[in-house]
Amino acid sequence: MIDIDRLIGKTLKRAEELGASEVELHVVEEKSVSIYATSKGIEGIKKGTIVTADVRVSIGKKVTVQGCVVSSENDVLNLVEKAVSIARVVPEDPNWVSLPRNCGYTTTFDLVDDKVKVFDIDMLTSIVKEALRLPPQVDRRASANEVVVDTGVIRKWIANNYSVNPVSYEKTSFSFVVEVKASEEGFESSYYRYYNAPTLKEFDLEAMVRDAVNIAVATLKAKPIETGRYNVVFMPTVFAAILRALLVPAVRADQVQKNRSPLARKLFTKVLSENITVIDDGSAPNMIGSAPFDDEGVPTKRKTVIDKGVLLTYLYDTYTAYIDNQESTGNAIRPGLGSPPIPSATNIIVIPGTKSVEDIVKDVRDVLVVYATIGEWLSNPVNGNLGATVTNAIYYRNGEPIQPVKGVAISGNIYRLLNEDFEELSKEVELAGNMLVPAVCVRNVAIAGEKSG
Amino acid sequence: MEYLVDLAEKILNEALNRGAQDAIVRVQEKVYESIVFDNGILRVCSISRVSGLGLTVFVGGSVGYSYASIVDRDSIPKIVDEAITVAKALEYGSEKRLVCEEVKGARGSYRTEFKVNPFDVDLETKVKLVSNLNNESMKKEGIVSAFTRYGCEIDRKYIVSSFYSKVQVEVVAIGLSHLAVARYGDIVERVGDQKTFIGGYEFIEKFDWSSFVNEINDLAYKASQASTITPGVYQAVVDNELVGLLLHEAFGHASEGDAVYSDLSVLKGRLGQVVASEKVTIVDDGMVSGGYPVPFDDDGIEKKVTYIVKNGVLVGYLNSIVTAKKLGQIPTGNARAQDITFNTIVRQTNFYMLPGDAKVEELFEGIDYGVYLKGRGAGGGQVNPALGTFTFGVGPSYIIRKGEIGELVRSVIVSGNILEVLKNVDMVANDLNVSTSVFGGCGKMGQMVRVGDGGPHIRVKKLVVGTR
Repeated sequence: MIDIDRLIGKTLKRAEELGASEVELHVVEEKSVSIYATSKGIEGIKKGTIVTADVRVSIGKKVTVQGCVVSSENDVLNLVEKAVSIARVVPEDPNWVSLPRNCGYTTTFDLVDDKVKVFDIDMLTSIVKEALRLPPQVDRRASANEVVVDTGVIRKWIANNYSVNPVSYEKTSFSFVVEVKASEEGFESSYYRYYNAPTLKEFDLEAMVRDAVNIAVATLKAKPIETGRYNVVFMPTVFAAILRALLVPAVRADQVQKNRSPLARKLFTKVLSENITVIDDGSAPNMIGSAPFDDEGVPTKRKTVIDKGVLLTYLYDTYTAYIDNQESTGNAIRPGLGSPPIPSATNIIVIPGTKSVEDIVKDVRDVLVVYATIGEWLSNPVNGNLGATVTNAIYYRNGEPIQPVKGVAISGNIYRLLNEDFEELSKEVELAGNMLVPAVCVRNVAIAGEKSG
Repeated sequence: MEYLVDLAEKILNEALNRGAQDAIVRVQEKVYESIVFDNGILRVCSISRVSGLGLTVFVGGSVGYSYASIVDRDSIPKIVDEAITVAKALEYGSEKRLVCEEVKGARGSYRTEFKVNPFDVDLETKVKLVSNLNNESMKKEGIVSAFTRYGCEIDRKYIVSSFYSKVQVEVVAIGLSHLAVARYGDIVERVGDQKTFIGGYEFIEKFDWSSFVNEINDLAYKASQASTITPGVYQAVVDNELVGLLLHEAFGHASEGDAVYSDLSVLKGRLGQVVASEKVTIVDDGMVSGGYPVPFDDDGIEKKVTYIVKNGVLVGYLNSIVTAKKLGQIPTGNARAQDITFNTIVRQTNFYMLPGDAKVEELFEGIDYGVYLKGRGAGGGQVNPALGTFTFGVGPSYIIRKGEIGELVRSVIVSGNILEVLKNVDMVANDLNVSTSVFGGCGKMGQMVRVGDGGPHIRVKKLVVGTR
């Protein structure tokens, strides 16, 4: 095995010898075990370890990042040499000021689960087998057609020439997906639920499977509804996907600075309904985006991004913070090997409302409740236009289910839907990846369905 | 990578000696060069390298996979142990072979021919090309943001298996992508496109990138001045850039053997049934011109041309050696993995519709009111093959009135049903186009692989069209 602490020391020294003004090393070791099953049983299991490294160097205002999968200590030293040689020839970045000078830690909770860390294959297979066993017991029309359990242990080290010691942390991850299929009289439907968090603390297998079965069965005879404008409840996982596609890019400082955000020049103005408060929290307990520091070593923190509809801050890494004369908000994320950090969301939390989904559906009278969509990521963050296709929905009238719906395209602009067309947030919240959000009810959603518009 | 190739056969033999019924060893090294200018400033100039070794073992009726980036002679027992131990932990206890009996591994090699090695071209030349295109874009009327990227990938693989596979593949893909954001009044719109070649830097030198980038800038600015389409159901002509995306989402995923086997495809049990109009024939072809070369799959099986739909009838699925056995079919060479951190799953290679005999202009004749859906700026798609519902983005498109192409409309998406959409194809043109991308690909179960897709212009009687 490679001695990472020794390697960090050698790397920083080598960069200095080669003439780098600044150097940063980011090393990640990721161990994982994954099990995949279909309705026929467990199909396969994989286990492995991969170590990656990124080196960022500057020579004056010339900056570059180089990355590689590490097979030996020499790979990292070669990476430094390559980084310095490339930094010599690239054009200057007029916006470059400095690597972070404030690396450190924020106290975090529920980042490591010892049960996940030990990779107990028996425990993992029993989870998979239980997920395969339960659906027909909940409803004879249902079966689990795909179950995936993925567990990981991530160790991360970051050091730069301004830090006395490298910062490091260990984190576990547990991800579970169950796709349930329902069949009856030639009709078929499917619905999936997932859990992704550092620990098993909030993992409730039975509740997830039950929920997936109920929705798959309830949407069995789904078909398109007529083209028109509808009141819509986006259930939490759908609302999370919409926020991920449209709001998160819009509050990224780099997108704002590059004229790719409709929220540019909107700080301290009302951009959403006063009922909506959005928090980015990089140290929230048991959320997958949490860590003691971000991907350039800056301590994470909790910040209110939108307070009662008013935009209070963008999300910054060190580079974009210097441009706006701000401090990093601890939101540096590395999108891939050899890429410079970008500012993006850690965990997004939307403060819930006070009514239950059931009461909202009753009170709104005519409403389409959307449980799942595909293609919401095709939405356009530069103008906030939402576009998605419904796969699981139920049309309710006076609180009664009238018709399950699928195959319709939904459209609208989130800055209208979550402002003048906003109706309500539910009191129930759900963990959807790095988001903890309620359901949202909005009016006036354009739906392309059965007939021409 | 050479030392990993040396170790591959040793690992294979060790796995078989330690009880694996079958085994596959995959060694891979991917090198990716990326140069990005964003609003006039260099943001990325990197060469990243991903390498390692993966081992699949079939033992006791189950499949185990282990991988590592740090591999040497001393770590061979650990890698083999991990794969066999995790497979045995499933305790199926069956001695039944999991790969089909008649499986025949391929032996051979493929290497992309090129005249100019992209990594021999000095960095300043490449940086200057991207810088100029990006900076010129920022000067164009209406353009408020521009993101220009050069990408080059060399993907080297070496695969050996217990069923005599021994293949070496080296694919070089190179290209340039550009995203322009335009503003007209309060309306902001974006258009992105890319062009990829399989080959060396000579393709970069020959291509007119200035026109390519300018066309994207112009389209973005025109789109920002266009209105949005009214959501609804339209008669449509789909261009030969977009048709591949439609086929990939609407049919490709549902034809993948693992989805069929696990009862998550609406195409299950429909072999021999009419699933499209008789004008429709669809193939998956590893080596079509314009596509991404897949001469052998990642299990070391030769990838041949696979017919999925012939004259409207479903005639086949895409299979790996494992799904072929489960479905009682033959392997089609479609087992692929993103990199060594993943075991293979069934994927498309280059999925496209064969051309018909109509001229493109004939497709517009007789359309009273419809839409001409364009691929430039489309952005991708998604499908739920179990439900049969798919969607994909569309670039700025045109309204068709009384057979004539009318005004531009922006922000279009399409939704549809797998079992209906291809039955509604009533005309197929003769202008086949297949393309690939070094900037993206197809995502499935957390894995991204390079694919190609395409077809000719087609006419569809009705499509659900929405906005975004």
